[in-house]
Amino acid sequence: MTKQVTLTIDGQQVAVSEGTLIVNAAKQIGIDIPVFCYHPKMEPVGMCRQCLVEVGRPVVDRATGQVVMEDGKPKIQFGAKLETACTTPVSDGMVVLTASEKAKANQREILEFLLTSHPLDCPVCDKGGECPLQNLTLAHGAPASRFIYDEKQHADKRVPLGDLIWLDRERCIQCARCIRFQDEIAGESVLAFYQRGRATDIITNSEPGFDSIFSGNTTDICPVGALTTADFRFGARPWEMKAAASICSQCPVGCNVTLNTRREAKSGGKVVLKRVMPRQNEAVNEIWICDKGRFAHHFTENEHRLATPLARKDGKLALVSWDKALGLVAGKLADAKGEAVVLASGRLSNEDLFNLKQLADGLGGEALLYTQMGGGELTTAYGVPAGTNFAEMGIGTTILVVASDLYNEAPIWYLRLKQAAERGATLILANARETKLEKYSQFVVRYSYGDEAETICGLAKKAHVGEAITSAENLVVLYGSDGLGLDGSSALAAACAELVKSRAGKPNNGLIGVWPRANDQGAWELGFKPVADLKAVFQKANVVYIAGADPFGDNPELTSRIPHHASRIPQHASRSTHPAPFIIVQELFLTETAKLADVILPAQAVTEREGSFTSGERRAQRFYPAVPARGQSRADFVITAQIAAEFGLELEGRFAARVMDKMAATVKTFAGISYRELAETTEQWPIVGRGDLYYGGTTYENKQGLGVILALSPSPTGRGARGEGKPLRPDEDHWLAVPVTRLYDLGITVATSALLKARTGGAHILLHPDSAQKLGLAAGEQVELNGNRLEVRLDPTVPVMVALVPRSMGVPIAGPMVAKIKAA
Amino acid sequence: MRVLEPLIELRRGLWTTLRSMFEKQVTTQYPEHKRPVKARFRGLHVLKRYDNGLEKCIGCALCAAACPADAIFVEASENSAEVRYSPGDRYASTYEINLLRCIYCGFCEDACPTEAIVLGDQYELTFTNRRAAIYTKDMFIEPVPAAGKPTPQKTGPGMFTRSVPEMKDPSD
Amino acid sequence: MRNPQSAIENPKSRAMLLAALYIAQEQYGWLNPEAIRRVADRLNLTEGQVRSTASFYTLFKLEPQGRYRIQVCEGLSCYLVGGAEPMMDFISKKLKIKPGETTPDGKFTLEVVECLAACDLAPALKVNDELYGQMTAEKIDALLEELRNV
Repeated sequence: MTKQVTLTIDGQQVAVSEGTLIVNAAKQIGIDIPVFCYHPKMEPVGMCRQCLVEVGRPVVDRATGQVVMEDGKPKIQFGAKLETACTTPVSDGMVVLTASEKAKANQREILEFLLTSHPLDCPVCDKGGECPLQNLTLAHGAPASRFIYDEKQHADKRVPLGDLIWLDRERCIQCARCIRFQDEIAGESVLAFYQRGRATDIITNSEPGFDSIFSGNTTDICPVGALTTADFRFGARPWEMKAAASICSQCPVGCNVTLNTRREAKSGGKVVLKRVMPRQNEAVNEIWICDKGRFAHHFTENEHRLATPLARKDGKLALVSWDKALGLVAGKLADAKGEAVVLASGRLSNEDLFNLKQLADGLGGEALLYTQMGGGELTTAYGVPAGTNFAEMGIGTTILVVASDLYNEAPIWYLRLKQAAERGATLILANARETKLEKYSQFVVRYSYGDEAETICGLAKKAHVGEAITSAENLVVLYGSDGLGLDGSSALAAACAELVKSRAGKPNNGLIGVWPRANDQGAWELGFKPVADLKAVFQKANVVYIAGADPFGDNPELTSRIPHHASRIPQHASRSTHPAPFIIVQELFLTETAKLADVILPAQAVTEREGSFTSGERRAQRFYPAVPARGQSRADFVITAQIAAEFGLELEGRFAARVMDKMAATVKTFAGISYRELAETTEQWPIVGRGDLYYGGTTYENKQGLGVILALSPSPTGRGARGEGKPLRPDEDHWLAVPVTRLYDLGITVATSALLKARTGGAHILLHPDSAQKLGLAAGEQVELNGNRLEVRLDPTVPVMVALVPRSMGVPIAGPMVAKIKAA
Repeated sequence: MRVLEPLIELRRGLWTTLRSMFEKQVTTQYPEHKRPVKARFRGLHVLKRYDNGLEKCIGCALCAAACPADAIFVEASENSAEVRYSPGDRYASTYEINLLRCIYCGFCEDACPTEAIVLGDQYELTFTNRRAAIYTKDMFIEPVPAAGKPTPQKTGPGMFTRSVPEMKDPSD
Repeated sequence: MRNPQSAIENPKSRAMLLAALYIAQEQYGWLNPEAIRRVADRLNLTEGQVRSTASFYTLFKLEPQGRYRIQVCEGLSCYLVGGAEPMMDFISKKLKIKPGETTPDGKFTLEVVECLAACDLAPALKVNDELYGQMTAEKIDALLEELRNV
């Protein structure tokens, strides 16, 4: 416990821990000291001078070292000048006056200075209505300016800092919050001041401009409308939009977000999603979200979304009614019984997956998880328990990251681990190639692709690294699927689990899977099993019910089992005697898989319905409906329940909350959890999103629930350790091609956002410059990899004779493979 | 006497009638004759233009925010030098007022930072259905002045960059 | 809160930045992108930080400079002896450039500066690091001619 210091602010006594800044001490007792440059998440700089207050300290007699008393009270000596509340730490007996005549005059005058050249843009400014400068001027500003209006300085009003962020130079008040965010929090110093005085300008010094995946956050903390997002520019006035709490569905971090919606004439009078804003959850995403979460929401409103059920008639997909589609599907499933297979992905919510599992169990069929990453039974058993928070990790904690490029796979975890490392946590990175987080790590373990599990098994015995792991007070292991398929990652998970087994159930200890999808963890918790050989599934099953997955899009070879695509059947496959399975697809889009389906059931997007996701940290979090459903689409759990009802199996198909109640009653790790509990909140620090926008930015306050970390399942339910299979070691003529994840890929949830297109690019592979030279290739040229034409990009961090193939970028790759690469 | 009383009353009444025949008329023959409205009369809204034809409305939606009857709907879009409707970055791509809801209080005029919306003299409004009571931008916008060009205009880069006209005298 | 061990910025290297920029400017004549990159590499800073700092100081040049930088004093003493303005006009006309510009052949850059601390020699001007005092039209003419033919 740190030492407590007692001081008086505006007559109120407050006790805070030593080192607290005056501005924060005041905030704790509800006194707002206006600030522009100070932000509770960043180091203070004291640049804007808006927070100047009168500070008095007790007079100490130099001879005796005693506090001088006057009329029975300590004598207080006030400084001749005001002090900045944002840089001055509190001290015992301090007296602070934030609203004295002197302090008020200063606040008024600083605002007057700031407004000398601030344009009168409020009516057109995107920040207008949620603008700290506006609010503080109203609260503290002078009624009239003494400066001459004609002498306002003018500057460029439309400067693109990058594809995503626009700068209005006139509005900037040079608080440097954006620059400091990029330097201190994001760790990507791509913004800087240029020149000085009135000519000061914010510039980007990266190519392409503002090359950061956290750039959107700068618009939240900008205290004026200088930085705006290209996505929302002039979209709506802040007060016109409605807000709905949600959970980002793009990665396993589960960032809490708020969806702002508005009815819009441009969209034909529909209620549409205008912007995604972060919602505070200090245990998950603090007050930040990445650019993918902020800008890749357009898939939910894409015009190609499925709106009605479709069924195959004479070889073609035709519109049918829901009743007909459900009857058809239920009939086929009831006939198939144990020959029916449910194939779902972690894109679905807990409720959807629970109902699908119940349906599969009811039929006696299998519930399979569509994934290329295994080990979920181990994260369920040895995952991080309640009370875990990256923000509390520092000295004494060891964090091991294996086979994961967190910057691309889970950007907010990247931020949080970086911060943990800066607080003194020991960060160990094990990967076959250099990743961005290595800059902040204490130890780097390098292995060859294929040796992941073996390396981790031997890690504890290594000299320094081993000691850091075994002697750590807390140990968290994050493992991913960088360069791995299902087998490799399952084996890796088993090796990682060995390290944390003895610590199971201790807060801030455990295994975390960096899953490719938002709710993969939830699927594992609910008993879904991964499938290694999809081809065999399609060969054996009579009916395959695919929800939220696109196996045929990811691997076109699978189509050989489906007759509608006669043209694509290779000769040898048609000899199979087993008839092709009946395929039911429940989807948002007409994916490659949906094109082959016998029945397509349109599902609702995450923005249109209620539900919950389980994050990689095993935190169940609720999302709420924000916009009306597209066409006749229905929520996944509703569709499943309605199918089940057709053949007499009773599932909850009306309220997501009731599905959760059922889950709580039957699934061990969900025991006792209810929607009400998930919606509970507690006071969080720093205080954001209230009237004091100038303090934390426009991040939303969390009023809709912080979520609950699930209980651990004491015994692993699955097979767990599977170490067989030798690493692939190609010969001289062949290459090792391994899958990696990129933040912006060509998957449907990202590719539908036009803004991100420039950052995504086309299909490509990454090679070491030496490897490329061997092939006689330069960057940008085309290669052929197993029949796919790709662009070559050079990256010196890639091992030699290895090709990195980004997932969902046009080349099917499930796991590491031996490939032939040649110049095309 | 009782017999005469009605006669007296009758005479008094007829006298009033007779007198009023020679007084100045207070009614007008509407609609043939229309009485001019008072200077501060609040009738149908007009969206004004600058002399060069650019629209004064910048789509800020402050009128919608001020409207106590929630009758106004504004949606903005971005101007560019090639396609410019109003000065500055933003213009109203949709501007609708539900005249069944409007109470002609004039708060929208007060809220407007560019004096784009003005309650005019027109008061002859009839609708035959609710949909027709929602007037759109083209029904409010003033005709292009003689010296101006219709919108959208093609203007040079760097021209008309400010949404709100600069004030010479802040007390103005 | 921060762990001093993992300090991202080495305070020493930032302290050396101004000196390094000065040396780089001497070597390259101006702070071209290559100079900035080399300074950043040597001090382990980002190019942005270096450029940002360089842009703050008017003595660091981020645009190509002439081989001879003529700095004409505009201080009080030079002004009062009637030197500053006529001297400026004269050189301007002679070199056909305005203050702040460089001649097309890259030989001369003309600048106005505040006091050169050579009031006793007013009117004064500086060419690169060399001071010339009590300038007259003839002396300037001769000086420019000499420099042009070097």
